[in-house]
Amino acid sequence: MIWTTWRQHRFEALWAALLAGLLMTLTWFVGSQLQAAACSGPGHSVCLADDLPGRVAQFIVGLNLYNYGLAVLPGLAGAFIGAPLVAREVENGTHRLAWTQGVTRLRWFTVKLVLVAIPLLLAAAAAGLLEVWLLNVASARANHWAFFDQQAPLTAAATLFALALGVAWGAVIGRSIPAMAATLVSFVVVRIALAETVRPLYQPALAYTARDMSNFNNPPTAYPDAWWLDQPSYYDSAGRVLSNGGFKPAGSVAYAIQHYQPAERFWAFQSIESALLAALALAILGFAVYWVTRRIS
Amino acid sequence: MIAAIEASAVSKRFGATWALHQCSIRLPAGKVIGLVGPNGAGKTTFLHLAAGLARPTEGEVKVLGRSPEQQLLLLDRVGFVAQETPLYPSFTVAAMLRFGRALNRRWDQRGAEARLNALGIGLNRRVGQLSGGQRAQVALAVALGKRPEMLLLDEPVARLDPLARREFLQGLAEAAAGDGMSVVLSSHLVADLERVCDYLVILAGGQFQASGEIDELLAAHHLLVGPRLADGQQPPGVEVVRAHHTDRQSSFWVRGPLPYLPAGWRREPLALEELVIAYLAAPEAGALPAPQLQEALT
Repeated sequence: MIWTTWRQHRFEALWAALLAGLLMTLTWFVGSQLQAAACSGPGHSVCLADDLPGRVAQFIVGLNLYNYGLAVLPGLAGAFIGAPLVAREVENGTHRLAWTQGVTRLRWFTVKLVLVAIPLLLAAAAAGLLEVWLLNVASARANHWAFFDQQAPLTAAATLFALALGVAWGAVIGRSIPAMAATLVSFVVVRIALAETVRPLYQPALAYTARDMSNFNNPPTAYPDAWWLDQPSYYDSAGRVLSNGGFKPAGSVAYAIQHYQPAERFWAFQSIESALLAALALAILGFAVYWVTRRIS
Repeated sequence: MIAAIEASAVSKRFGATWALHQCSIRLPAGKVIGLVGPNGAGKTTFLHLAAGLARPTEGEVKVLGRSPEQQLLLLDRVGFVAQETPLYPSFTVAAMLRFGRALNRRWDQRGAEARLNALGIGLNRRVGQLSGGQRAQVALAVALGKRPEMLLLDEPVARLDPLARREFLQGLAEAAAGDGMSVVLSSHLVADLERVCDYLVILAGGQFQASGEIDELLAAHHLLVGPRLADGQQPPGVEVVRAHHTDRQSSFWVRGPLPYLPAGWRREPLALEELVIAYLAAPEAGALPAPQLQEALT
């Protein structure tokens, strides 16, 4: 089974390894350029050296991969590696060859999945760690906590989730290309829904009431221990809401209330969301096992 | 003796259509059995049930005396060549053999290599570059490599040219002659099956129409030709499978013992293909529950 899986997927494995290697090398290159320029300003792109390597690094930073890349890459891995795992067999009819050898479908599926999942999860976690290292190099003052979705645990959990989605869609649809599309769409929808509607519920946000309005224009310095800040609400002296939009209204503001999540909760939130995604992934994989062993003929 | 395949009241439904409906049959072990029927008759479904790829909606299929719950035991003992002989196109022939060796407890590498050598199929060739006939031969070699007690083949020669067809069936017959392996192969062409099979099963419209040793089947059916009868009339005392009328005479394909020839009628020699066509042309008219037919035959 191990040899068969390798023989079937060795070119995909090679491509994935090359791509991951390239991305990691680029990240390391940008980081080393930033280190060489000894940047300390808040905007890490401004102080790269004005020589060729510096300009190349500047160009890479300009692609903005580091903000969005790690949020998107797991979805791509799920679509391009997960979706064809079963779907390609079914669309070529080779599942009837594989499933009539002396190996149960459960074993066939499990071995294939584990062999694909382990290197993928390791690569995802490594990419997350490298990203955090890059942020640290970029600027000591940058708000690292803003990069919640790019941390190693969540990147790995999201990759597992995307892989499960891809495998399950591939089994149910039985054709690679539609399964890839379904994987990408459902991955994006679930991750946005989690981040926007479920994440705030892990622990209720704390409220901070600011009475000194003269110093209120710079929330990050006002709340050094927050990793997530809501838009502030402004009130007059009678306790009526003047504005919810974040902008300080003209007129007599008496106080402002701002909800926030303290920095010490960062890893709790990170763990909860990672566990949630991993649990979803396992449930979906259970469904995929059922579909592969029972529903395909 | 344990049956190769035993189906009791088996039905398989896909959505609203019944691919097989209330099928019962007992196929003897150690024979080369042909499964003949038009496209859509349920041949593939029946073979998938026997190979453990699908489960019946109703009823039970026993293969080599075991129910499909004992999946692993059966997977070791049943070889399957699926329709269009799927293989991994990026694999070399040697890699396909290694695939078979890796995924089966029992594997006859020397036999598989000898079989392909004899056919002049190089082990280093890529499967995607083989001709249809060679691909089918590699698929057969992989299926035979695990030394199955039963080999199932779904339309293995449907896409092959006449020469490749002949070669494939010859190879299959030689392999079957060796060690008492049961073989079930399907086709919609009687001529293909007649060449290698000693037992025939006729399937149409999701139901078994008739089954038996080919010579017994031929002995149990007769073609009666006589004067033109009005539509709906038939000679007395016979069980009609199919009637055919021309302007001047009527022909009846009849089943069962024929103790005497009705006056004015003559018997004509019956070819297997005609017999099959008689059943396929009128599946409702000809259909009898299979067990009843088997009683008549034994």
